[in-house]
Amino acid sequence: MESVDPLIYTALWIPTLPLLAYVIQTAFGVKLPRMGDWLSTGAIFASFLLACRIFAAMWSANDPNWAVSHAWKWIDVGTETIPFKLIVGVRLDNIAAIMLLMVTLCATLIHLFSTGYMRDHHGKPEDGYRYASFFSFLSLFTASMLGLVISDNLLTLFMCWELMGLCSYLLIGFYRHKTSAANASLKAFMTTRVGDTGLFIGMLALFGIVGSFRFEDIYRAVGEGALSGQLLGFTAAGFIGFLIFLGTVGKSAQFPLQVWLPDAMEGPTPVSALIHAATMVAAGVYLIIRMFPILEAGHVLTLVAYVGATTALLAAILAIKQNDIKKVLAYSTLSQLGYMVMAVGVGAFTAAFFHLITHAVFKACLFMSSGSVIYAMHHEQDMRNMGGLKKKLPITFAAMFITTLAISGVPAFSGFVSKDMILAGVLGFGFFNNPDHMFLPIAAFLTAGLTAFYMFRLIFMTFFGKPHDHHHYEEAHEGGWNMWLPLAVLAFFSLAIFYTGSLTGGLFGGADKIFGASNDWFKNLVQVPRLGSTLVEAGAHGHETGGHHGFEHYEHLAHMPAMILSLILAGLGIGVSFLVYGSKKISSEKLSNLWPKFVHKLIDNLYYFDFFYIKIFIQKFLMPSADKIAKFDDNVIDRIVVDGWSDVAKVGYKSAGTFDDVVVDGVMVDGLGGGIPSVFGASLRTLQNGKIQRYLLVAVAALVVLFFFRGIL
Amino acid sequence: MSGLANNLNVYLSLAAIFFGLGLLTALTRKNSIGIFMGVELMLNGAGLNFVAFNAFLKDRSDGWLHGQVFSLFIIILAAIEAAVALAIVLRFFGSKQTIDPDVAVGLRG
Repeated sequence: MESVDPLIYTALWIPTLPLLAYVIQTAFGVKLPRMGDWLSTGAIFASFLLACRIFAAMWSANDPNWAVSHAWKWIDVGTETIPFKLIVGVRLDNIAAIMLLMVTLCATLIHLFSTGYMRDHHGKPEDGYRYASFFSFLSLFTASMLGLVISDNLLTLFMCWELMGLCSYLLIGFYRHKTSAANASLKAFMTTRVGDTGLFIGMLALFGIVGSFRFEDIYRAVGEGALSGQLLGFTAAGFIGFLIFLGTVGKSAQFPLQVWLPDAMEGPTPVSALIHAATMVAAGVYLIIRMFPILEAGHVLTLVAYVGATTALLAAILAIKQNDIKKVLAYSTLSQLGYMVMAVGVGAFTAAFFHLITHAVFKACLFMSSGSVIYAMHHEQDMRNMGGLKKKLPITFAAMFITTLAISGVPAFSGFVSKDMILAGVLGFGFFNNPDHMFLPIAAFLTAGLTAFYMFRLIFMTFFGKPHDHHHYEEAHEGGWNMWLPLAVLAFFSLAIFYTGSLTGGLFGGADKIFGASNDWFKNLVQVPRLGSTLVEAGAHGHETGGHHGFEHYEHLAHMPAMILSLILAGLGIGVSFLVYGSKKISSEKLSNLWPKFVHKLIDNLYYFDFFYIKIFIQKFLMPSADKIAKFDDNVIDRIVVDGWSDVAKVGYKSAGTFDDVVVDGVMVDGLGGGIPSVFGASLRTLQNGKIQRYLLVAVAALVVLFFFRGIL
Repeated sequence: MSGLANNLNVYLSLAAIFFGLGLLTALTRKNSIGIFMGVELMLNGAGLNFVAFNAFLKDRSDGWLHGQVFSLFIIILAAIEAAVALAIVLRFFGSKQTIDPDVAVGLRG
């Protein structure tokens, strides 16, 4: 057997530790001191240290094609004529290493934050189990995300993917006494299920063609053109790529399956931070990043781009009108996810993954900051009742302000660099390269402006102005160290310098490059996966941009205009936000009256998506069809097929009755029946005592007797 | 494969142990759910036999995977059975406030 790189075992421990914590926590959590919150947090912290080890290995290799992988044979039951073999394993490459570090860092801090935020649930006997189970769910959630990241194949990836679906159900519905929470958890589970079904079918179709679930084999097959055949009237790659993308649409809440994500806010705030930053929604984008070669070969990227752009724009518009602090963040997550998907769609592979990471960091911080605010305000979530919290919650304010700058795309913060790469990619694709796709850059830049506007609206309404609820305001105070430390750490990592080695991603042409060789490590290390031995060649497999050389050319062309435009729009958004909500120079009512009524109605009803899905699709279509099937069952199957036999039986029993009366009753029973039943009846009756286990015992005894006699005869 | 893993008897013995333990569980538990768990164990013991025979009689099976497929069906049926059984247990608990199988004597003759 070939030797296994020790890094592989390190990687295996990363999901195993939280998984162990989950098992122990579920079994003994209630009996542990502090209900075991230290156990879950400690386990994920240990994973974080291991992830640092892997990241360091990646860093020192400093090679875009760095990869360590090892696979084990799991199932091998086929023969030479009919092969059936499942090989699963661990693959560590640059993408996985960066993801591992990000997920473990965010998850550790979220666990730590939860020990403060969920304290109300601790120590109450009637509620005590919930505190323990909260941490056990968190551990399982993190473990499945980490397992997904280290997977080298679609099969274990899908398993972890579904586990995350389960955990999101459990955690979103954590406040199970609330009907809204119960409904939200069900909605999240069912909606993502729609996409998962697509992913599963796509996976199996892929396995049918490639014969393996491993990424390496899939890439090689794509490179060799094994997927260029026909499948149900589409090209195989297109068909499979579309189905796999469906999985992302469900998991990352893209248009038109975006409805579950805002409702997921019913869960406790740390859960929102975990779902919206490090795990669940990131998994969807991670999937299309992994499956990029198939999407490209199947010409689905344009669809992907449009879905992403639509989501980004629609969600950003919705975010403007929300008053619930968590809802604003939920829609901003949707919108940023749309950005990432759009980036994948236009071929800005590196930018999509970059934004995934920077977004995870600052969005986790934003959510936990909002959690800190909510905690300080005694579970008040309406921003209209907040205001002036800057003095009461200085650390939270600082963290939230920094991360808001990051999400709005202000230079020197991480969001600026990643977003700028996306915008440059989109502009290059939709303006310089394919002017037909003008919608994409327009949506992207509009979203950029809107994002700055609504995020600063949140800041101004929450932290500035006069307090609206004096009672809560007076009592508001910062949580313990376990609540502000995570905010501080994540806000610190929202600075651009950690990702680029410079403050602006080297946009101003070398002058600000201070770290020399490690400059722009992200761009250097994250690149489109190799197909077999050659890189994706321009046009050979036919992406409309004309391959990656073309893409890079146009991205380069678009860089400066994109940056200038995005800066102008971000500045405009922040400025208008300040005038409306900060200095109140412009009345917000006047601004909202500018828009016709139907626009407001559309936004208030969330574009009628919920209405369509629940009122029309489920109630008018699914339920009646279920009724129809039930009626068919009742009328046709029961009435005719089953009951019809009664007519047949009627003829039989009449003649049998006569026979029974005359022969059986008259002769046999009354004649012979006197003595025999009284002998056997009593003994057999004890056998018929209605206890199933006794019946089973008799059956087994009879079987043993039969075997015994068989042996003799 | 070497040593133990290459010996059909090992698999058959394990299956027999599964089956025996399952039978014992199903016979002795005073808890309906326990009985179902025993039944599941028996089913899996049987499934293991199928898989083992299929794997070891490859030459005679012409490369077909009937045994494997059969055990897949057993797994699916076991899942369905568990769902139905648990529904029955729930209903039973609803009416009798207990899941002791000795209380369920409606079949008494």
